[in-house]
Amino acid sequence: MTDISDIKLKINLDNIFLIKDNITKKELVEKLVHSICDKNPSLDAGEMLAAVLKREEGISTTLESALSIPHARVEDLDAFLGAFAVMTSPIEDDYGLPIKVMFLFFSPAGQPYFAQHLKLLARLSEKFTPEFVQELTTCTTPQEIAKKVNL
Amino acid sequence: MIQDPLKTQFKVKGVVVITTAMLTFITAWQAASIVLCDFASSAFYAGGIAMKAFGPAFPWYILGVMLFAGLLMMMYIESCSMFTRGGVFPVVNAGLGENAAKAAAAAILFDFTLTGPISGLSAGHYLSGLINSVLKAIHLPFALPNETVAVVFALLVTLYFWYQNVKGIEDSSDKSRKIIRFSMVICLILFVWAIITLIMRGHITLPPIKPHLNENSLGWASNFTFMQKIGFLGVLVALGHSVLALSGLETFAQVFREIEYPKIQNLKKAALIVFLFALLFTGGLTFLSSLIIPPELIESQYHDNLLAGLAMHLSGPNFLKLIMQGAVVLAGVAMLAGAVNTSIIGANGIMNRVAETGILTDWFRKIHKKYGTTYHIINMICFMQVGVILLSGGQLSLIGQAYAFGVLWSFVLEMSSLVILRFKNREQKRGFMMPFNKKIGHYYIPIGGAFVVVAVVLLAVVNLFTKKVATIAGFSFAALFFLIFHISQRINAKKANDIFEEGHREKLNQSEVENLSKAMEDIVGDKRILVPVKNPENLYHLEEVLKNVNDEDTEIIVLYAKPLDAWSVGKTRQSNNVDEQELFTKVILIAEKYGLTVHPLLVKCNDYSYAVAQVALAAKVKEIIMGVSGSYGANDQLERLVMAWGAVQQSRNLEQKESEKISVTAKIVWEGREVSYKF
Repeated sequence: MTDISDIKLKINLDNIFLIKDNITKKELVEKLVHSICDKNPSLDAGEMLAAVLKREEGISTTLESALSIPHARVEDLDAFLGAFAVMTSPIEDDYGLPIKVMFLFFSPAGQPYFAQHLKLLARLSEKFTPEFVQELTTCTTPQEIAKKVNL
Repeated sequence: MIQDPLKTQFKVKGVVVITTAMLTFITAWQAASIVLCDFASSAFYAGGIAMKAFGPAFPWYILGVMLFAGLLMMMYIESCSMFTRGGVFPVVNAGLGENAAKAAAAAILFDFTLTGPISGLSAGHYLSGLINSVLKAIHLPFALPNETVAVVFALLVTLYFWYQNVKGIEDSSDKSRKIIRFSMVICLILFVWAIITLIMRGHITLPPIKPHLNENSLGWASNFTFMQKIGFLGVLVALGHSVLALSGLETFAQVFREIEYPKIQNLKKAALIVFLFALLFTGGLTFLSSLIIPPELIESQYHDNLLAGLAMHLSGPNFLKLIMQGAVVLAGVAMLAGAVNTSIIGANGIMNRVAETGILTDWFRKIHKKYGTTYHIINMICFMQVGVILLSGGQLSLIGQAYAFGVLWSFVLEMSSLVILRFKNREQKRGFMMPFNKKIGHYYIPIGGAFVVVAVVLLAVVNLFTKKVATIAGFSFAALFFLIFHISQRINAKKANDIFEEGHREKLNQSEVENLSKAMEDIVGDKRILVPVKNPENLYHLEEVLKNVNDEDTEIIVLYAKPLDAWSVGKTRQSNNVDEQELFTKVILIAEKYGLTVHPLLVKCNDYSYAVAQVALAAKVKEIIMGVSGSYGANDQLERLVMAWGAVQQSRNLEQKESEKISVTAKIVWEGREVSYKF
């Protein structure tokens, strides 16, 4: 469990990946969705993946810093669940933008959580500067990444 | 293929500040001052001309015309509540069609072309008269030639206000406000002193009501014996000779576009100021003059100088009366000079309305690079006025005789159109209705409006016969301008057709600036709202902002973040096809509908939300109000915006973040709903 701007985000070492092999954006999203769903059996991985991909069809979630933040708002969830991956070589998003770090999360649906959902997006995009993203790509283990991100 | 890192830098690539004089608004007092400079300046000559036309009954008729002006102003308020860019051309165009509108515009242009010169020359005569009085008083053996002084003064005033109008209406309206403020003080002193004079005299002899008509005042009507019978027709003839005191009312409609928020309330306030001041100044002082100055002296000595005569016949020591006369002349010169300004503003307004329909070629609509004004039109008006001044040789009489043709016939067409529109455009919203209506079914039958129409038609028809010079000169001028409009329209036929099909496009000045900070230099207020716009058909959010902003200090920045041609995130076919001119024209039309200034800004970018966030940060806005996108949901839009907001915060170092806490509320607004988030 980590605390990003007062938001309780469930994320542990098993949800952090260092990707050295070639991978597509869709494959990476699938990997992160499964890593979350494996720890939370009440979630259906297929449904969660569909929800994230549906959101990805909308306005882009990739930023100038090469951080991508795919996400979905999920009914009956009472906590924020996250997973993330750092790529040693960038992958391509739907607009041709480079992705070096992907931070995927599920947030509880419902209006009271929406402000926190937005706050999390804002904080992540502020925290992951281009320099910080670049620094993460030099990490050699998930533990090192977790330490740098301060999770 | 992964994009070139250079392309993925989401910093805005080009910043373009858009300027136009159309986004400068004025207060009710400034608007009233512009109108009064023309409307009330006739107090300096209307009484004298009426006295010459039909004798000592003149104050009753001048007073009657001033009261009638109140009814006309109510009609004008109704027309303005229907047409933000109103006045004679759009109203008559909607009511009676294009040809009638062209004729009405040509007729009123005739009056504006004369108003400037007659006012400038009149002011010159007042000034020359005062200087000569002083020269005589100090026993200097020479006098200035009145006509030459009048011509030189009129030319100087016209050139001065030509320059002021090329610079923009705000500057010139401020001058008008100062003139009226000064004149108001003089008027009040004169009024109170005249009342005291009457009390001290202990008796009042009211002027006769019956006008004395002669061959000169009857014009062609003197050939028709039935028209010479004094009665109702005589009253109409007398009113017809007093109607020149109504000149300037059309400016009321022309300045409505410029009036600030809340528009209709401010227009009503301006109308009340104009009505009360004109009633007191033109009606009241003309009446008091007739009670205090012996009629034979008015006829022989003060017909061109009525208020100066009033000052000289007040009770009190001579030196005080001389000072009062000097003050009256000063106020007269200032106000008449202001009338020159008003005539330029009014004529420019009318020509602009005509040009907007495509009747006039682009040459007329060309805007000044620095000031954003339609300077070709202003140049043309002033050129005509200078021509009239030179041709007159300083003689007021000919211009005076030609006067009032345009005013009356434009009233006839405009007021008739307003009555017709009650039936033709029954469903069009009206923020105000001329009183005295009878509701039958879905219609409001305009009884009050019909009365005004009948009155102006009667006056115009009678004047056709009684004012020969006005009829001949007015018809000739109006026919010439009608022809110019007609020929220009034929030359411009294709353009006019495009304008008809695509809608009006505002001429805009676009100046590229180095960065966002530079673009914000002219924005002074701290309370700022950013309104990003993209689709000319989706400006509901902008209208909501303008509807709900209830103070003058809020600065509204309207941003179009234009996707770069080469590559942009989320660029759609629709966003590629945005017609910037159409978009900003719609923005300007909405802004002027509410009378609130907005700051249009265009930035080139490869990410819309990043551009919005960067501008919001640079402008230190308190709110970002966006419309809902046609391509994405409101929640998705807000998510992208907060991500972009977070990302642009990276450019601020810790020290800046600590010292300058920024709190911004972002809202996505669409009909009946909104989602918001406070950063």
